[in-house]
Amino acid sequence: MANNLIARGLKRCSTRRFLLWIAPWAALLAFGLYSAGLCLVEGLNQTNMDNRFAFGLWIFLDLTVIALGAGAFFTGFLLYILKVDELRAVINSAVVIGLVCYSGAVAVLMVDVGQPLRAWFTFWYPNVHSMLTEVTFCITCYLTVLFIEYLPIVLKNRKLREIPTFLVFEFELHKLIYVLAGVGTFLSFFHQGSLGGLYGVLRGRPFAFREGLAVWPSTFFLFIISAAAVGPSFVLLTTWLVEKISRKPLVRPAVLELLGRISGLLLAVYVLAKTVDTLVWINRTSPESGFPAAQYYSWRPFGTWILFAEIVLFGLVPALIMLTPRLRAHTGWLVSAAAMACCGVALNRFVQTIQTLALPTLSFDKFLSYYPSWQEVGTFLAVVAYGALVYSFSFRYFQLFPEERERYQI
Amino acid sequence: MTHYIFFGAFYTVIAVVAATLIAAVLRSRRALVSACQVDRIRWNSEFHDLPQRDRVCRHVLTGEFKSRECPHAFDCRECETHARLIEKHPLAPAGEPEEDLFGMQFPLDRFYHRGHTWAHLEPDGTMSVGLDDLGRRLLGVPDAVELPQPGTRVHANSPAFRVRKRDADVRVLSPVDGEVLETGGPGRPWYLRVRPESLDLTHLLRGSEIRPWLMREMERLQLALSLESAGATLADGGVPVADIAASYPDADWDAVCGEMFL
Amino acid sequence: MNAQKKYGMSIDVDRCTGCGSCMVACAVENNIPPAHAGANDRNGLTWIRVYKVDNGEDYPGKRSAFIPVLCQQCGEHTPCASVCPQQAVDVDPRTGIVGQMPERCLGCRYCMAACPYHARYFNWWDPRWPAGMEKTLNPDVAPRMRGVVEKCNFCHGRWHAAKQKAAAAGKSEIEPGDYVPACVEACPTGAIRFGDLNDPSNDLRHPDSFRLLKKLGTDPKIYYRSKRDWVRNVAQASRPVSSQKEASHG
Repeated sequence: MANNLIARGLKRCSTRRFLLWIAPWAALLAFGLYSAGLCLVEGLNQTNMDNRFAFGLWIFLDLTVIALGAGAFFTGFLLYILKVDELRAVINSAVVIGLVCYSGAVAVLMVDVGQPLRAWFTFWYPNVHSMLTEVTFCITCYLTVLFIEYLPIVLKNRKLREIPTFLVFEFELHKLIYVLAGVGTFLSFFHQGSLGGLYGVLRGRPFAFREGLAVWPSTFFLFIISAAAVGPSFVLLTTWLVEKISRKPLVRPAVLELLGRISGLLLAVYVLAKTVDTLVWINRTSPESGFPAAQYYSWRPFGTWILFAEIVLFGLVPALIMLTPRLRAHTGWLVSAAAMACCGVALNRFVQTIQTLALPTLSFDKFLSYYPSWQEVGTFLAVVAYGALVYSFSFRYFQLFPEERERYQI
Repeated sequence: MTHYIFFGAFYTVIAVVAATLIAAVLRSRRALVSACQVDRIRWNSEFHDLPQRDRVCRHVLTGEFKSRECPHAFDCRECETHARLIEKHPLAPAGEPEEDLFGMQFPLDRFYHRGHTWAHLEPDGTMSVGLDDLGRRLLGVPDAVELPQPGTRVHANSPAFRVRKRDADVRVLSPVDGEVLETGGPGRPWYLRVRPESLDLTHLLRGSEIRPWLMREMERLQLALSLESAGATLADGGVPVADIAASYPDADWDAVCGEMFL
Repeated sequence: MNAQKKYGMSIDVDRCTGCGSCMVACAVENNIPPAHAGANDRNGLTWIRVYKVDNGEDYPGKRSAFIPVLCQQCGEHTPCASVCPQQAVDVDPRTGIVGQMPERCLGCRYCMAACPYHARYFNWWDPRWPAGMEKTLNPDVAPRMRGVVEKCNFCHGRWHAAKQKAAAAGKSEIEPGDYVPACVEACPTGAIRFGDLNDPSNDLRHPDSFRLLKKLGTDPKIYYRSKRDWVRNVAQASRPVSSQKEASHG
């Protein structure tokens, strides 16, 4: 019976093995939902955030997860707008990753705010000057677009397509998918940017404050480039991981190489832009507002090593690896470089959120520190488990890798 | 000012997304009215899910092209390239009355569909439709057969009937458009008798095309079998037995049939 | 129309003894639930945080001072107002006071991340008063619920009362003595003074005074003053003092 749900010509493990794989994730999800429930019912006193460290683990991970989910919009943009047809092999997988990342991030944001039921106020009384308004509007719209983009993947399921309504709707919707890809690109462009702007506009946090173009600080543009750079890397990484776990080739190796090349190219652009931005900030922005930049790196765990790690170790190095054809052809190098790029963007988001809040601004203030509580960690683990589950079910019952059926040639 | 830009952009986005959805709904409602359209869409969508090597043009089978993907989802009736090529090199007429290919019977008076069915023009102007010899051997003695009611209309490249064998639930594609007059079954020489809508059968394989096509099909079967049941392959040059399924008890027959019946 | 006011404060650091009367008066006036002993930034709530600073020397040269930090009522590029996604923060053009609307607040805390003074507070807990103590609640001020942000608003309830009193007397202007925030009233040493910065008759903006993080360009309306050089240096240093210490030690 369940067999009939699996796409024709694809081989999936037995239901028993699948359940064994699902069980630990389901347990993790249950624990995570319990943590999130505690935060919702008992309030945010369940977290270790306080009046001075008001943003914590969740904001950092949300920003990271959304950057990693950028593969959905960027792959869609390359495939449907720029017609890079090779990427058809990973587009469905990228859409699922995007959906998981965005919906997960929004779910955590809903736990993170003190009055989730008031979320609609942002649409009713929007303050158009706030980056968070831009983020809210763009993410809600883009999440809707992602759901619509996910719909054809679901409706193509072997059993569902038997129903003519679903079949025809999927077919007609897929014909218009380039419109959604265009809209998705527009939305992602702005909200990845406004997530960057979130901290860049904070005049009161000279560590994060940046000058920029028009209403957007430079971090707006840096976030767009870094998300576009790391999105394909994350798609590459997950594809490789799924190939390893399911023990079957899913895409031609050339597709992974192409993803690596795109990622490497954008990462190189990002490293350059980030370097220029950092130099301008150290030499102009920060000192001009009365804060010598050296002080930011005089607090214990955060030395200048963090700049080096962010720009060189997890930026320049993976970019060079992915841009060198000889290294790129080597799966080990390619995957390690992609993983490094992902770590790099995570580190950048960490610096933007956590380090910014840890550094004192008042001259007589202390360095602040904060450790997330288990409820905070649990809530985030729920997102990880949710992602693993949605992806596992999608991989089993929907066709995420159209080239999988080509396996005989490989 | 900022307000106008901000809301302008977002209402535009919402309008575009909504318009896309509405357009898709309206277009699918229009398509849903005709069963023919639904069948066409189903085949189109299934055709594009086939692996690339299974979507090749029939003129690749005969060696006229090195590689070419069929742009018409196996409906050569609308294909200009096919018309041109046929005009240039008319297909060799049938040689012997009955050809024996790899030990299987592929009578040359029939027209073959790539989903392993044939169509045969009867003297009374009707058409009989049946499984070809390879298809028959793949399904052996079926566990169950689901035939359409007389009076139903079938469409070329759309499901004509369903056959269940072991874990495989196979929908068999119709080679022609027409109205079902009478149904047969595994025990009879044909599965359906159809009053054809037109006698244009240019989309079906015939004559000298059959041998190269079947050679390729045997290769596909071999690959499918080797992948679906650990290590088993057809004996080299061997003749498929009457009930192939019985010879490969471990094979995932759903996958093998899914592969072979397109 | 009334003349525009620009309410501000002057805090004499040299007079502050760190007694905490302002914090208590503020809590009572604004219906802030009483803090238990040892309350910290996670489980307690106050609209004024009194920092203890010292000159960095060891005994006997060691000198200490207290700097009360409340909302600085930034007048320009108000960091918290521009970031709020749903306009729950506004700067009242009539008074220059930065207002917070807890009824509209989503609790996203972006304003708290934006405030360089850490002068905004989140209701991590449900507000609770010990049995009987709810009778002391101020009827002019609405208590806030869990999950929203609040902060000093120069005792908005008192401003309303003064407005009403003036209106009843047929006057359009508040008498300066009618509107005084609770902390100003409660300070036993008179370190805190309050008034209209646009009014030249008061010397709130004494030439000797300084403002915290004035260099950010947000035009804060709390003026501090001290005759001691080291206090002025500590309060206005270009880099946090403890980082200097750490750097010199390390």
